[in-house]
Amino acid sequence: MVLKAFFPTCCASADSGLLVGRWVPEQNSAVVLAVVHFPFIPIQVKELLAQVQQASGVGVAVLGTWCHRRQEPEESLGHFLEGLGAIFSHEPWLQLCRERGSKFWSCKATHRQVPTSPSAPGEDQVMLIFYDQRKVLLSQLHPPTALPDHQAGDATASTRGLAAVFDTVARSEALFRSDRFDEGLVRLSHWQSEGVEASILVELAKQASGPVCLLMAYLLSLISAASTCRVFKLWPLSFICSKLSTCEQLRHRLEQLTFIFSTQKAENASQLMRKANTLVSVLLDVALGLTLLSWLHGKDRIGQLADALVPVADPSSASSVVVYWAYCGQTGLCGQEPSQAECPWLLRVAQLRGRRKESLGAGKEWVAEELQHLLQWLMGAPAGLKMNRALDQVLGRFFLYHIHLWISYIHLMSPFIERILWHMGLSACLGLTVALSISDIIALLTFHIYCFYVYGARLYCLKICGLSSLWRLFRGKKWNVLRQRVDSCSYDLDQLFIGTLLFTILVFLLPTTALYYLVFTLLRLLVVTVQGLIHLLVDLINSLPLYALGLRLCRPYRLSAGVKFQVLEHEAGRPLRLLMQINPLPYNRVVHTYRLPSCGCHPKHSWGSLCRKLFFGELIYPWRQRGDKQD
Amino acid sequence: MCAQPVPNTTEIRWQKVLYERQPFPDNYVDQRFLEELRKNIHARKYQYWAVVFESSVVIQQLCSVCVFGVIWWYMDEGLLAPHWLLGTGLALSLTGYVLFDLLDGGEGRRKSGRTRWADLKSALVFITFTYGFSPVLKTLTESVSTDTIYAMSVFMLLGHLIFFDYGANAAIVSSTLSLNMAIFASVCLASRLPRTLHAFIMVTFAIQIFALWPMLQKKLKACTPRCYVGVTLLFAFSALGGLLSISAVGATLFALLLVSISCLCPFYLIRLQLFKENIHGPWDEAEIKEDLSRFLS
Repeated sequence: MVLKAFFPTCCASADSGLLVGRWVPEQNSAVVLAVVHFPFIPIQVKELLAQVQQASGVGVAVLGTWCHRRQEPEESLGHFLEGLGAIFSHEPWLQLCRERGSKFWSCKATHRQVPTSPSAPGEDQVMLIFYDQRKVLLSQLHPPTALPDHQAGDATASTRGLAAVFDTVARSEALFRSDRFDEGLVRLSHWQSEGVEASILVELAKQASGPVCLLMAYLLSLISAASTCRVFKLWPLSFICSKLSTCEQLRHRLEQLTFIFSTQKAENASQLMRKANTLVSVLLDVALGLTLLSWLHGKDRIGQLADALVPVADPSSASSVVVYWAYCGQTGLCGQEPSQAECPWLLRVAQLRGRRKESLGAGKEWVAEELQHLLQWLMGAPAGLKMNRALDQVLGRFFLYHIHLWISYIHLMSPFIERILWHMGLSACLGLTVALSISDIIALLTFHIYCFYVYGARLYCLKICGLSSLWRLFRGKKWNVLRQRVDSCSYDLDQLFIGTLLFTILVFLLPTTALYYLVFTLLRLLVVTVQGLIHLLVDLINSLPLYALGLRLCRPYRLSAGVKFQVLEHEAGRPLRLLMQINPLPYNRVVHTYRLPSCGCHPKHSWGSLCRKLFFGELIYPWRQRGDKQD
Repeated sequence: MCAQPVPNTTEIRWQKVLYERQPFPDNYVDQRFLEELRKNIHARKYQYWAVVFESSVVIQQLCSVCVFGVIWWYMDEGLLAPHWLLGTGLALSLTGYVLFDLLDGGEGRRKSGRTRWADLKSALVFITFTYGFSPVLKTLTESVSTDTIYAMSVFMLLGHLIFFDYGANAAIVSSTLSLNMAIFASVCLASRLPRTLHAFIMVTFAIQIFALWPMLQKKLKACTPRCYVGVTLLFAFSALGGLLSISAVGATLFALLLVSISCLCPFYLIRLQLFKENIHGPWDEAEIKEDLSRFLS
């Protein structure tokens, strides 16, 4: 078996001395960590190694000798080095030698006591692998997730070996503390031996972080204690809090801050990474929020926004036109004004529309006109559907009255909209995500669309259910609840008569209801889509591991997926020399591994079930059925 | 396999059993196999006039549909006052109701256990619901084109005739479906009438002629066959007369249809019986003779 010797590149130019490192017998490899220089007293070296072993828990030992020949070869040094093998006994004993000039290396591994076989007495073939000690120390190895079966056994073995090397280097940090400016008794050569890196800012931050964390943790615990107060557990408040996405976002933000400022030390690397990711995402979020705030508060943009939002929210320019046209279409009065006695509120809608027309830009007009065209098309015979005039009229008046109510509400609200927006803008201090939770505002402002949708859906659902059961009656069948199947059944004459009468009526009224349902469902779907997009954005900001992505971008070696080897020298009679380089983790795995948990649970619908629900008129988001319907 | 017959097979006789090993091929049968063949065991000998009498059910139903169509046409044209139809219908229904009990002396009522109170309740339900829904019915199909309504009604009435329970024991027969289709057709047609009252009376008339009249017919046929024949003839002639007042061609065609169904079809059926050749034998599927329904439930 080939013996693998891992050798740090920084020690390549060190003076001759002893190789200190760890022997991994399972992999048959030696990980060299540092070189101890002459002169030294063997007992001190042993003491140092014992200290390191106690601190790190890694079996550090003297593995062999290192000989860097700058001048003419000295016979005495060679003998001396061989003699050292007797003092520091190790199996196998490595003898690494660098000739003058950098090209020639030689490496021997000798078994002193038990020769393995008579043909090759006490010598192994050695493969020399150079590694960058700093990078290996800092990098975190991510073992591959899944491999095809035929590679799996092979790969896990090699991965374990690699992990052992990385682990050894990472854990023996105690060995690297001393540099050459120390007045130590033993002189070592390793990656930090030229001087320990440090930055004043980092040190200051480290010093400051303790008290800051303590203070913030105290404040946050106060806030969370206040939020768990009993008042918030009462029925209406807790219900509202569970429904509003702003509250959800605020709770999530509180959790994030608590996590960041928790005084406990991060236990492992993944938790540390998660902390860093959360911190960076909160910082970015707040920065974006502050930018938004400064943009909003300059040049009276809030006022403009409120002016723009009121007409959008109050769709007297849109929905009332819908119903207005519906009304005109069914009474055959297209183009004429309906008489005042018939529907006074309709005139009011028209007046409001006119007033709005002056204040609105061309954009709203365009929306209104588009809706007009749509409704004109719908009011004719859309796709050959036959509408029932009487029902059409009833529904139209019903929705008109509802819109009338809504408009009054909006006009009552409009003076406050600006102030509400201003306060909402302030909430951007807590981050863009909190400000983006305006989906609550959208939900509030489009409440009437939701109402229409619910009315339409309920009516449609009633019709569909009634039709399906009456169709069974029409065929002389019934649904057997106990056996969950359709059985034949003999009905009375009056049951049959009433059932068929209702069936006929429902069949002929279905298209009208379905049309109303369709229009309001489309409006509702539009609103839900906008809300969903906002939710997606908030989720993206919340869950993207920004710190890990930044590391991957600037320090690719910190997150490693594996290693690759570059052949430095491959000649017969000389040891094979390889350079180990770190493969960075691909971006998608970075995102996948370090994704932060996002807040809130969104109802999951498959497309099929969504279509099914839409067809049968069951309410989609945000409505949860209490339990599966037992038909 | 025992494909080779044993030389001295004279003693070994073939047995029609599977549980014994026999020196014959698997598909072997001997001469006795066809001894059990029987032909036309279920064939019946029909009497011509009996068949004609039975076909009167079909005649009656055809005439009902025809009378319904004619009445609707009169109503639609405004030639028939709705009050008159309501009065006649009520009078006829009351007569029929009294007859229904008188015919078998209250035997059927006692057997079914149906009280007069239940009858009254049913009548009230019919009248109330029809009257209540008649404004809805009136405006129900306004936007649907008349041709669609006609096509739908014809389709439904045909379905009514097809699925009607003429006394045959077949899978297609479903009196529920047939009645429902007739009511559907009547509601469709009633929605075309000019006024609400018309619609109400039309639907009431439909119940009388499609639901109540066949029940009375059944009882008439069972109790007084002679009277039934007379009623059928009378009904058929009145339907023909009504149709004649609308269209002579239609009346002629309808008369031809009635004659062919009541005279030609029975004749043809009896002729065709001569060619009947049903074979029965041990290869038939097993038939459970005993009524096992008491073991179920």
